[in-house]
Amino acid sequence: MNLVRDLLDKALVDRNGRDMGRVDRVVLDIRDGAPPRVAALEVGPAVLAHRLAPLAGRWAAALEHAFGVDEGRPLRIPVRDLLGIEDHVKVDLAFGDTAAATIEQRLRRWVGAIPRSS
Amino acid sequence: MSAIVDLVLGIVTSIGGFVEAGSISTAAQAGSEFGLQLLWAIAAATVMLALLVEMSGRLAAVSRRSLAAAVRERFGVHFQIVPLTAELLIDVLLLAAEIGGAAIAVKLLTGIGFQWWILPIGLVAWLVLWLCQFGVIEYGLGLLGLVTLAFVAAAWKLEPNVSAVGASLIPSLPTHHHTRYAFLAVSILGATVSPYLLNFYASGSIEEKLNESELWVNRTTAYVGMCFGGVVSMGALVTSAAVLQPRHIVVDSYEQAALMFVPAFGRWAVTLFAASLGIGCFGAAVELALNAGYTFAQVFGWSWGANKPRREAARFTAAFTIVLLASVAVGLIGFDPLRLTMLSVALTVVIMPLVVLPFLVLMNDEKYVKKHTSGVIGNAFLALLTVLGALLALVVVPLELLGG
Repeated sequence: MNLVRDLLDKALVDRNGRDMGRVDRVVLDIRDGAPPRVAALEVGPAVLAHRLAPLAGRWAAALEHAFGVDEGRPLRIPVRDLLGIEDHVKVDLAFGDTAAATIEQRLRRWVGAIPRSS
Repeated sequence: MSAIVDLVLGIVTSIGGFVEAGSISTAAQAGSEFGLQLLWAIAAATVMLALLVEMSGRLAAVSRRSLAAAVRERFGVHFQIVPLTAELLIDVLLLAAEIGGAAIAVKLLTGIGFQWWILPIGLVAWLVLWLCQFGVIEYGLGLLGLVTLAFVAAAWKLEPNVSAVGASLIPSLPTHHHTRYAFLAVSILGATVSPYLLNFYASGSIEEKLNESELWVNRTTAYVGMCFGGVVSMGALVTSAAVLQPRHIVVDSYEQAALMFVPAFGRWAVTLFAASLGIGCFGAAVELALNAGYTFAQVFGWSWGANKPRREAARFTAAFTIVLLASVAVGLIGFDPLRLTMLSVALTVVIMPLVVLPFLVLMNDEKYVKKHTSGVIGNAFLALLTVLGALLALVVVPLELLGG
């Protein structure tokens, strides 16, 4: 597998097929005398911004903290939770139970307060 | 039967949704300043748009991905960030220009200053996005947009010289104002081939669940719909050339552009022009805002779709709301809508290679489009026109801005 081509930036879905985001970073486990292994995937705007520029990553993390949505973020998904990699990367998690859903859930409260939102 | 209905609706709404602030203003200015001479630019841009739109639908039908999503996956975020940022900034300007165009249309009907209509039009656009599903947005606004056929009717009534119209489809150099001519040619290209249309069309194809077996519907809709849409734009240019140029009226406001309808429609001229401008601009504004939501959601992997309850795709809803708010804020600053339109469409051409060239790579990658890759001639035509247009824009846009 080519990690950049086949994993990084791919759409991530939970076990029910719900959109969770994209694979924003691949975490490798590097040990002496052994080939590197994929340890986890990370999802979140701070991780994505950090890939573009470390300063942007710090700003994004600071913004998340300022808005009180930083708990458990960025979401790190251990490789054991991967169910498969096809068109999407499917993981054995429920989107709503993870920190990837924090902003969506916060916005839902606001959007849901407006008539005819559901 | 369903495919035939989709096909007819698709073609009709493509025609109704073709003309907006950019195409009306560039065609009116080109006609008033250079007569029929820039008709070839509309023809070339329309062929380019038809090819690109067909490709967008094909990408969506085969890969189940929109352009924004496929570019993120294929090229990564480092590549995507520059064109994405540039496109979103220009989309905010374009959206402000479309809202401004719709506001001018209401001003023409009511006599009340256009600035007063920016906020109400932004609010109505948001309500349409909040309340309507994709089909209502796309087909409803497209059908209303058929009023823009008034440009074709006006051109027809003015009985232009058919052989002169035909001869103008072959590019020729002007005898005067070369920079202005090049600027208008570039602007026509930018007004016709707005990059947002590509992602919007692909996203719409996914919303409509277009699949690989319906590629012929996509192909026919794109080619026939866009080509007839181009005829509406040409109608605006021909009418402007026949009415405004002989009277030495140079279009520097939409109010002046409205005069092109007077010989054809008499006392209904202003009403028809306002309806064409207003509905065309409003439809484009709704599509631009919706596409901003699509783009953010697809790049970041959020839940999206105009067919989903807004609460079920809260970040997508927030994204189109914020972009709409930003554009209303730009509109409220008080820029002249026509100048804002001309600036936005010219800048569009500068960033076009960043959007079109990766798209061409995707459309030749069998991982995404399987056996439905693009042909050599289409690829070469699109790459050549995109790069030439951008190079020309890099030269003439600064000259025009400095000169103007």
